[in-house]
Amino acid sequence: MTQDNRSGRPQGRPPESDSRLSRVEAQLRGPFLLFFVSAVVWLLVASILGLISALQLQGFGGLLNGEAFTFGHVSAAQHNLFIYGWAFNAFFAINLWLTSQLGRFELRNAWLVTLGALVWNVTLTYGVLSIFAGDLNPFSLLEMPRGVGPVLALAFVLAAFWPIVAYARRPTGQSFASQWFIVGASFVFPLTYLLAQLLLLWNPASGVVQAIVHSWFIQNLLLLWVGGSALAAIYYFLPKVLGRNITGYYLATVAFWTFFLFAGWTGSASLLGSPIPLWVQSVGVVGSAMLLIPVIITALNFHGTLSADGGWSRAWNSTTLRFVCFGAVAFTLSGLINALFSFRGYNAVVRFTSFGVGQEQLLTYAFASMVIFGAAYFILPRLTGALWPSAKLVHLHFWATALAVLGSVSASLVVGWQSGNQLAGASGLASANVLFAILFLVGHVAFALNAFGMILKSTAPAAEGRHD
Amino acid sequence: MNDSNRHPDNNRPRRAPSGAGSDGLSDGRLVEVHSQLAREKEEPAAGFSLTPIFVVFLFCGFGFWAGLYLTRNSGNFAPSAFDLDAPKLPAGGEVFVFEPSAEKGQVLFNANCAACHQPTGLGVAGMFPPLAGSPWVAGNEDRMLKVILAGMVGEIEVKGAKYNNPAGMLAIGAGLKDGQIAHIATYVRQAWGNNAEPVMDTKVAEVRKAIAGHKAPYSPPELLKEHPLGTK
Repeated sequence: MTQDNRSGRPQGRPPESDSRLSRVEAQLRGPFLLFFVSAVVWLLVASILGLISALQLQGFGGLLNGEAFTFGHVSAAQHNLFIYGWAFNAFFAINLWLTSQLGRFELRNAWLVTLGALVWNVTLTYGVLSIFAGDLNPFSLLEMPRGVGPVLALAFVLAAFWPIVAYARRPTGQSFASQWFIVGASFVFPLTYLLAQLLLLWNPASGVVQAIVHSWFIQNLLLLWVGGSALAAIYYFLPKVLGRNITGYYLATVAFWTFFLFAGWTGSASLLGSPIPLWVQSVGVVGSAMLLIPVIITALNFHGTLSADGGWSRAWNSTTLRFVCFGAVAFTLSGLINALFSFRGYNAVVRFTSFGVGQEQLLTYAFASMVIFGAAYFILPRLTGALWPSAKLVHLHFWATALAVLGSVSASLVVGWQSGNQLAGASGLASANVLFAILFLVGHVAFALNAFGMILKSTAPAAEGRHD
Repeated sequence: MNDSNRHPDNNRPRRAPSGAGSDGLSDGRLVEVHSQLAREKEEPAAGFSLTPIFVVFLFCGFGFWAGLYLTRNSGNFAPSAFDLDAPKLPAGGEVFVFEPSAEKGQVLFNANCAACHQPTGLGVAGMFPPLAGSPWVAGNEDRMLKVILAGMVGEIEVKGAKYNNPAGMLAIGAGLKDGQIAHIATYVRQAWGNNAEPVMDTKVAEVRKAIAGHKAPYSPPELLKEHPLGTK
C-alpha cells in the first residue's frame, strides 16, 4: 500500500488493511491509542491524587502515612501528572490525528512516534516517583529533577514533531486555522521548556530573573501549548460536526498571530507587586489585556458559528460538540477574567489567594480538558470501529465533570475574591473541594470505562489492519 | 493537480456512533472552503455586518490604551523602579515630591497591619488595641512612628479598655520603606473617623534615625513619658 496515492485519494477501500479505516487513520491508529490510553491512565492517577490532597487539606492527614505522601508531594505530583501526563499525551494524539486528517498525511515512521510516547511516559513516571521521593525543585510544573528535562524535550520532539512534517507536506497550498495553532504550539513548547530548564535549573539566572522566567514558562506552557492545541481542536470540530463554515473566518489569522504574539508577554502580570522592575510588570498587564484580541476573535468565530441556525441545540445534542462548546465558552470566560484580574487594583485583591488556582483550572480543565473529551468522543469510534459501549456512562461523564469543574472553579474564584477582600483565611473551600474531587474522579472513571471498553473491543480487527 | 484540491473523502463509510454527530464537512472540503473564505471577503450587501469595522476600531483602541498604560506605569523603564511609588527620574530638573496618600496607605495597612488591628481598625478585645478613635495615633506622630518602627510590648490602655498581647507588637516598620510607613500612618490617622495630619516620609526617616540605638521594643509607660497623649 505505497504507490498510486500522491494526488488522488484512494477511490476504493484502502487495500489489504482494515477495511473500515482510511489509510491516513490506519497509520496513526497505534500511536494514537498508545498516547490516548496513557493519557487516560494518568488522568485517573491524577484524579486519585487530587482526591487524596483534598482530603489531606480537610484534615485526613493520616490517610497515607510516610514522608513520601505529604501534601506537598501529592499535590505537586497531581499537578505534574495532570499537565504532562494527561494534557500532553492527549494533545500528542489529537494534534497528530488532526494534522494528518487535514493534510492527508500518512505517518510512515510510526515507530518513532511510539518511541517518543514510550520515552515520554517512562521519563514522566521516573520524574513523578522522584517527586514522591522528595527530589523536587521549587518551581511549579518544573518540580521533576533536572535530568528529566532534556529527555522530555527529546521525547516531545519525537512525539510532536509530526504535525509540523504533516503541515510542510500538505498536498495543496491551502491551510486551515487548526494547522496553524498546532504547528505554532509544537514549536513553542520545546523551545520555552529547554530555555526555562536552562535558566532555572541548569544555570540558574540571578535573583528575580528566575521568577520572570518561570512565569513566562508557565504562560507559554498553559496558553500556547495546552491552549493553542485546544483552540485548534475547536476550530476543527465546530465546522466539521455542524457542517458549516466558521463565521468571520478571515479574522482567524489575526487571532492566531495576536495569540502567539501576546501570550508570552502575559507571564509577568502574575508577578505584580513583587520586586521586579515596574515596566516588566506593566508589560505583563498590557500583554494580558492585548490577549483580549484573540479572545474576542475566537469568541466571534466560535459563538458566531454556533449561534446561526439552531447551532447551540445541535451542539448540545452531539456528544462531541457538547464538550467542545463547553470548552469554547470556558476559553472566552478565562480570557476575560485573566485580562480583568491582571489590572493592579483587582490583582491586589486576589493575589496569593485561591483565585489563581481557579483561573488555571478554568483554562486547563474547563477549556482544554473538555475539548480533549469532545475530541475523544469523535475520534475514538473512528479509529476503533466500535461504538461507545454505554450512553449512560457518557452522560455520567459529562455531568460529573461539568458540575465538578463549574463548582470547583467558581468556588476557587469566589473564595479567592472574598478572602482577598477580608484578608481572612478561606473557609468552607476545603470540604467542598473533597466533593469536587470525588465528582471529577467519578466522571473520569466513567470516561475511562467507556474508552477502555471500546478499545478492548476493537483490538482484534485493528491488529490485522495495521501490519504492512 | 487541480483535482487534488477536491477530494471528498467519500471512501470512508460513515460509522457515526450514537452521539458522535455526523460528518458535516469532509476534511478536504473544510480546508478548501475556509482558505477561500480567508482570501475573499464577503460581498458588500444589504445587511453587511458591521462587526469587522467595529472590531478594527476596538483593536486600535486597545493599542492606544496599551501605549498610554506603558508610558504611565513603567517608571521611565528604569531598572530600579519597582513600584508605582518609585521616585521618578529627574527629567527636566523636576524633583520628586512625596505625597502621603491614604489610598496607598490602605492597601499597605491591609497587607501589613490588618491581621491584628483588623481592616475596621477596631482591633480585638483584650489583645490588639483599636486604632479607630485612639488618642495614641492622633497628635504627635512620633509616638505612633516609634511603635511602628521599633514595636511595643506591655499592657496598654486605650479608651478605657486594657489590652495585652504577650508577644506585643513586632517592629513591622523595620522592613518597610519610609514612604510606605508614611502612607500607612497617614491612612491610620485619617481613616475610621480619625482626623489627624498626614505624615511625610522625611518625618519617618527622621524618627528612624533618632531611634536607631533603641533596639528593644518600647513599653507603653516609656512611650507616654516621651510623648504624653493629647500633646502636639
